[in-house]
Amino acid sequence: MPEENSLSDYINKSNEITKIFDRKIRIALVSSFTINGLSEILKVKSAERNISCMVYESPYNQYSQEILNKKSNLYKFLPDITFLILDTRNIFGEIFRFPYSISHLERAKIIENKINEIKNLLDKYIENSNSKIIITKLNIPSFSPNGIFESKTEYGFHNMIEDFNKQITKIYLNSENVFVYDFDKFITKNGEDNVFNYSQFFFGDLKISMDFLPTFGQDLMKYVIAYLGLTKKCIVLDLDNTLWGGIVGEDGFNGIKLGPEPPGNAFMEFQRVLLSLHQRGTILAINSKNNFEDAIKVIKEHPYMILKEEHFASMRINWNDKVSNMKGIIKEINIGSDSLVFIDDDPVNREFVKSVFPEILVVNLSDDPSSYVYEIENLIDFSVLKITDEDKNRGKMYLQQKKIIELEKTSTDLQTFLSQLNLKIIIKDVDEFTLPRVSQLILKTNQFNLTTKRYQEMDIEKMIKDSNFIVTCVQVEDKFGDNGIVGVFIIEKENQKEWRIDTFLMSCRIMGRDIEKGIMAHIINKAKENNVEKINADFIPTQKNKPIENLLSDHEFKKDGESWTYIINSEIKLPEYLSIEIK
Amino acid sequence: MSKKLYEIISKVMKIDISTISDELGPETIENWTSFNGYVLLNELETGFNIKFTIDEAMDVKNIADIKRHLKNKGINSNE
Repeated sequence: MPEENSLSDYINKSNEITKIFDRKIRIALVSSFTINGLSEILKVKSAERNISCMVYESPYNQYSQEILNKKSNLYKFLPDITFLILDTRNIFGEIFRFPYSISHLERAKIIENKINEIKNLLDKYIENSNSKIIITKLNIPSFSPNGIFESKTEYGFHNMIEDFNKQITKIYLNSENVFVYDFDKFITKNGEDNVFNYSQFFFGDLKISMDFLPTFGQDLMKYVIAYLGLTKKCIVLDLDNTLWGGIVGEDGFNGIKLGPEPPGNAFMEFQRVLLSLHQRGTILAINSKNNFEDAIKVIKEHPYMILKEEHFASMRINWNDKVSNMKGIIKEINIGSDSLVFIDDDPVNREFVKSVFPEILVVNLSDDPSSYVYEIENLIDFSVLKITDEDKNRGKMYLQQKKIIELEKTSTDLQTFLSQLNLKIIIKDVDEFTLPRVSQLILKTNQFNLTTKRYQEMDIEKMIKDSNFIVTCVQVEDKFGDNGIVGVFIIEKENQKEWRIDTFLMSCRIMGRDIEKGIMAHIINKAKENNVEKINADFIPTQKNKPIENLLSDHEFKKDGESWTYIINSEIKLPEYLSIEIK
Repeated sequence: MSKKLYEIISKVMKIDISTISDELGPETIENWTSFNGYVLLNELETGFNIKFTIDEAMDVKNIADIKRHLKNKGINSNE
């Protein structure tokens, strides 16, 4: 189990938090049992990640009342995320001990009613609040009154709970607002006898023991990370003793440990875990001190290498120091350093990288390769509330980008390079299919983002329905393939004659190809079509959005006090190397 | 053993070690709420690798009670 502090440490530390961070989250805890201490745990764990966390705790076991009463303090608190933490004892009442005092048909009826009851609560809540709600699955106790005969019992005690969990999960499978936390898996991982402590249960109705409440809080932090878009995007890997055992420069191609026998199997499994993350959108890169020829031979030819050349968006295999290489990777992938994870077996390299880039998550890899897999599995930093098609294809897109960089190197000037790319910009209104990706871009894009306004899916949906807003996304294709949706702009129609650019952003992946010129031309021409005379815009500087600072002046917007304006005269001509398709 | 006991009490109740005395309890220690009382017992259990019975836990009204129960478990906290 990853190391945890004691509950009193969290309570004490939470009183010492004085710093107010830019990133904020409001969490409501609504529970059917005593969860004292959980709010302190979440506050401390948030502060450790530079997040200011405000917590509202509903009164003890009043979850129904709080949710059904629209004027309750729960609604007044305006949470971003709400955890509805329920437990089987509470939901089942007397039936928890006496499920076999009634028939299996009656048991089924009870579950049907309970599902309706909880569904009603969840639906009410999402109707009346903007919060995401995370409901915990009910825990399945290992005991049953029927003992080993349980599995021969029709719709038995365990079936009842499983059914409840299954049905609730199914109802909200595609919901953007309701998420199901697998509390039962939490118990599988940590052990029923550890998580549930009879003494603490009788003493204070604690259903998660004090020793395991911090571990539970750690799991809930996954939702905070995902909600705030703090998910790590890229893993930078060392090679020797990280992806394989031994040092290829010394032990040779045949001497490294990688294969079905121990310890090589630990490295193979580690690579499988990395590949599985890659398949859902995490970028991989290499930062290794090695002879390039030695290392690339392993990557290309070793029969037990799971990760291949195509899986790495950037490979820095040379004798430069790790920090210079890291800078190169950041530049090549065009990624914020705070979305990186660095994995290296050498503590000196780790310290060096950490000292220059404190924002990079440097994994404290153990010196035992058999724990590598466990250490990655237990990182909460890859948590997402959604996996989009773009995520799944990201690896392929970075490969295309590599090819583009090659092309750029051989082109004599930028114009020639861009005209060889066959760039096509597809502009389309945001709909239910593109909404998840659009929301993801709005929450995650830092660099090429004019106003860095963060909207949740619900906010965007409201704007789509509001005729005063134009919510549009931008897809880019080039000769190497489809880059997917890489840009978003939102226009607010302030009045008949004036529009305002509320949001203008583009994925950093696509920067440097003049796509913004095409988008801006489109906005201006569309405004002209609508007889708009003036476009207003703001540039809100952040620590990260320097790349977009000249967007407005480059497009002849004029500074007007705090804001920028563009007076529409004639239609804007598109650069020759761009084509636009409006869908 | 007394040092460890006092350290745990000091940490959970947020009071200075030098101010801890046998007669202190929920009335005299501000942070000794009913919940923090459980936290104290839990951290003593972890710290000394012991278990309090529910009767013992219910019985604790001050520091002296804790010492008495610890002594019954072979932990002499006055040494």
